[in-house]
Amino acid sequence: MSENSAISVSHLVKSVVTQEGELTILNGINMDVKQGESVAILGPSGSGKSTLLGLLAALDSPSSGSIKLDGVALETLNEESKASLRKQKISFIFQSFMLVDTLNALENVMLPAELAGIAKAKDKAQAMLERVGLSHRLTHFPNQLSGGEQQRVAIARAFICEPKVLFADEPTGNLDSANSDKIADMLFELNRESDTTLVLVTHDMELASRCQRQFIMDSGCLSEKTAVQYVEQKAEESDEVTGEARAWS
Amino acid sequence: MELSLAWRLFKRELSQGQLVLIILAITLAVLSVTGLASVSERLQLAINGQASKFIAADRIIDSPNEIDPKVLQLADDNGLSRVSSMQFNSMLYAGDAFQLVTVRAVEQGYPLKGDIELNTGKAQGLPSANNIWFETRLGGLLGYPEQIELGNAKFGLSKEIIRLPDAGFNPFASSPVVLMRIEDVAKTEVIQPGSRVTYRYQFAGDATALNAFEAQAKPLLNTSQRWVDVQSGDSPIAEAVKRAERFLLLASLLGIALACAAIGIAAQRYCQRHYDVVAMLKTFGASAKQIRVLFGMHLLLVTAVGVVLGLIGGFALDRGITAFLPAEIAAYTPPMMRPIMLGLGTGFISAFMFSAYPLMRLLAIPPLRVLQRQLEGIQLGMWLHLVLSLGAMALLGYLYSQSLALTLTVVAAVLLLGVLLSVLGFFMIRLGHSVGMKTTNPLQLALAGLRRRAKQNAVQLVGFSSALVLLLTIFALRQDLLNEWQKQLPENSPNYFLVNIAPEETQPISEFLAPHLKSAPIIYPVIRGRLTAINDEVLISRDQQQEGVEGRVGISRELNLTYRDSMPPNNDLLEGEFNQDKYDVSVESGVAERLDLSLGDKLTYTIDNQSLTVNVASIRAVHWETLQPNFFMIFTQEALAPFAYTSMSSFHLDDSQRGLILDLIKQFPTVSIIDVGAMVSQLRQIIDQVSLSLSLVLVLVLLASALVMIAQTEAGMATRQRELAVLRTFGASGWLLRAATGLEFALLGTIAGILAVIVAEFTLYLLKTQVFELNVYMHWPWWGIAPLCGGLVVATLGIWRCRQLLSKSCGELLKGH
Repeated sequence: MSENSAISVSHLVKSVVTQEGELTILNGINMDVKQGESVAILGPSGSGKSTLLGLLAALDSPSSGSIKLDGVALETLNEESKASLRKQKISFIFQSFMLVDTLNALENVMLPAELAGIAKAKDKAQAMLERVGLSHRLTHFPNQLSGGEQQRVAIARAFICEPKVLFADEPTGNLDSANSDKIADMLFELNRESDTTLVLVTHDMELASRCQRQFIMDSGCLSEKTAVQYVEQKAEESDEVTGEARAWS
Repeated sequence: MELSLAWRLFKRELSQGQLVLIILAITLAVLSVTGLASVSERLQLAINGQASKFIAADRIIDSPNEIDPKVLQLADDNGLSRVSSMQFNSMLYAGDAFQLVTVRAVEQGYPLKGDIELNTGKAQGLPSANNIWFETRLGGLLGYPEQIELGNAKFGLSKEIIRLPDAGFNPFASSPVVLMRIEDVAKTEVIQPGSRVTYRYQFAGDATALNAFEAQAKPLLNTSQRWVDVQSGDSPIAEAVKRAERFLLLASLLGIALACAAIGIAAQRYCQRHYDVVAMLKTFGASAKQIRVLFGMHLLLVTAVGVVLGLIGGFALDRGITAFLPAEIAAYTPPMMRPIMLGLGTGFISAFMFSAYPLMRLLAIPPLRVLQRQLEGIQLGMWLHLVLSLGAMALLGYLYSQSLALTLTVVAAVLLLGVLLSVLGFFMIRLGHSVGMKTTNPLQLALAGLRRRAKQNAVQLVGFSSALVLLLTIFALRQDLLNEWQKQLPENSPNYFLVNIAPEETQPISEFLAPHLKSAPIIYPVIRGRLTAINDEVLISRDQQQEGVEGRVGISRELNLTYRDSMPPNNDLLEGEFNQDKYDVSVESGVAERLDLSLGDKLTYTIDNQSLTVNVASIRAVHWETLQPNFFMIFTQEALAPFAYTSMSSFHLDDSQRGLILDLIKQFPTVSIIDVGAMVSQLRQIIDQVSLSLSLVLVLVLLASALVMIAQTEAGMATRQRELAVLRTFGASGWLLRAATGLEFALLGTIAGILAVIVAEFTLYLLKTQVFELNVYMHWPWWGIAPLCGGLVVATLGIWRCRQLLSKSCGELLKGH
């Protein structure tokens, strides 16, 4: 692990016991992400992307192997310490936004800041919403906002605590292409400004290509490739060229 | 932070209507407990107040000798008012005429409750010194003399008594009553050592003081002294009051159980709705403590609103009902402390104990749920939920009833009901195995849905069925009690009794009354006799038994015997056949049990110094609470023909026909007339009050049932929402989905209805035989009505909720908004 690693993973294995026997979801993952880097994890559905994200973000525990996040070995932490680590260093953006329906935009953005005990949470939240262009929507509830607006609220919420690492799970998965582009622009801009490490799980190769590095997850194994290499590999595996690949090439 | 966030979440969810169901459930629980407790306490106070008039006091101690002054001191210490009196039999002389009378010598202040009714109206005070008041028939027997002699003293006969408040109801009381001052007894010198005198001490005061006095005084009484209260069985309304009390208590307990069920279901939904919020908060690093405090506070706020609304509602309910009550009942104001405390307790205990399990599951939601939506966290043992829920119910039940036995019975019944319904429901739904959604038509879709969700549906069935079972049980019990009371006091129930009718007067009296009555009066011959042997075994008295004499104990007094060709109305034949042979006798079931009699036993009587032996041919149940002439032993006319008899009769006269009674007295001066009209109307008033409270209870139970049904439908729809969304997305028409949901719920409701009838019949059997002593019968119409109504109501609720869901876009539905 290099000195300025934000995330360092070695020999990570995650297995679950099913009715058919033990199933290995992640099989000996190794990766190293530097502070301020943006990385994308690509791969087909069921390849283990989200499982890896859950482990990296200290939401789940591995079967074996180790993860260091900002120098802290996650396997040494109990649930309470993991929660504390997330509060201090990690933030999230989800495909389904995960906003609290009963809180308005401002209150949703304030939430992590309040949990972390940050002073003037309201002012900060207001400023963040202005940054994402929603200063006129402060008191709107999620069901009064469009999908794109909801994800902007989620982005404001993700950056309010100035996290060291931001995990984004298909952040544009629920949006149309116009909104996707806007959200992606906003995400990378804020990421740059705040020197946050971004770990992004996506199917969208265009989005992935905007990250500095791309990892491909396939059948529980992770390899660093460019998106082009990934598409070529897929094309070789199948005579049929996928729509994704066509779009990519 | 947690507190402000809890407040913010609460405020927002409240304004968006997301807390309506759980708040409504808590409100209803608190409202019913508070309202019911205060109304029933008011009614109870009124009933006891009315009933007190039948014993002229709240409590009585009867004693064969003067009571220990310590007991009277205790009454004074507790701030009770009291009067003492003496009752004895003595011969009263008016010139050459004489008559055995029952003398009631009372202290100033008598009666503590009720009034002495004179022929001139309500009496003010007592007879003046050297004067006695007399029962009307004594005037007839002695020819209205101006002065009489009692022992060594002379008294003026001043006023005619129509009724003493504590005269009781005994048409066989043969000697007329006279009332005098207790200070005048000494000069009569009739009380000598060994004289048979009953000393009666009457007490009145508020309930707390009376209870304290009872607890202190009862242990000081010896076996010959008798404690009497309005429920001691002496008053004709005792049974009515006891049954009503039991009913109110049971209904309230069942009402609490229902409201708790509603809270339980609503709490579960409340927690499920917050699964994503907890996962998200944990993802953003909220500590376990922060989440505990946040949701603890949130629930506390929800409960507080529910409790406050419930208390206000309960108070309004009490006021509302009181406004409809007659003024004399409304005038009773019970302390509100107990109803309020019960309401508070119910709200907080039920909300927290029923939410504990869902809340624990909520707090255990893993943060990973943000990525894997199907995760629901650890499955805590259901036993914990069961223990907490039953614990809450038991605690509340005990707080309310103060009876461990009744509480445990209700809890055991609820547990049994739950297990039975779950198992039955599960098997009824899983009659077949089916694959696929069967989206071809609504019925198939509904059936497939029912089977696929067998487990959740079994849980829902418990909710629906429990609501129906309790509703049916309360409804049936109320109806049976009302019928029973109606039978006890039918329209035109007798308000006059004639006793001591000489054989030669029987015919003239019948002829005198016939034109004025709707039906000919039934005349019962009365012959007094003593039971001396059973199966040739000579009987001994209880006194002899206490002196150590061995033998079978009989009845230590003369009985009033009668003969009849047929069973008296209002009697039920339990065993054998009613008098077929000359020496057959029909015995009342209570006496038969006490004397250990069975069919075929030989009973020997001594009547007019002659012996008569008869065989027990039948055993009857007698409704003693009816104001009708009732008899322990009924013979055949042939068997009693050799003996001298008098007759008695009872009949109903309207108020406008009262003049007839004066004519009757003039024409038949030796016949004793007992007017029980006042007692009948008082009894009717009490029954009306009790009936009202029963109806009120029914309405509250109905509301609680409805809420359980709504909460259960809401919970049921939550499990169907995603499926509806998927079908909707793939183009299923609103009609198909509504029809399928409606049918699925209708089938659930119908099954719940069938289960409810089975369980309700069983519950009623237990309650009627073990608690209420009512006739058991099957409620056949229910077997059709309950499944039908269950199906209709549940289907309507389901369609209504489905329509609400389908008004949303597919996107919203899929997101679970």
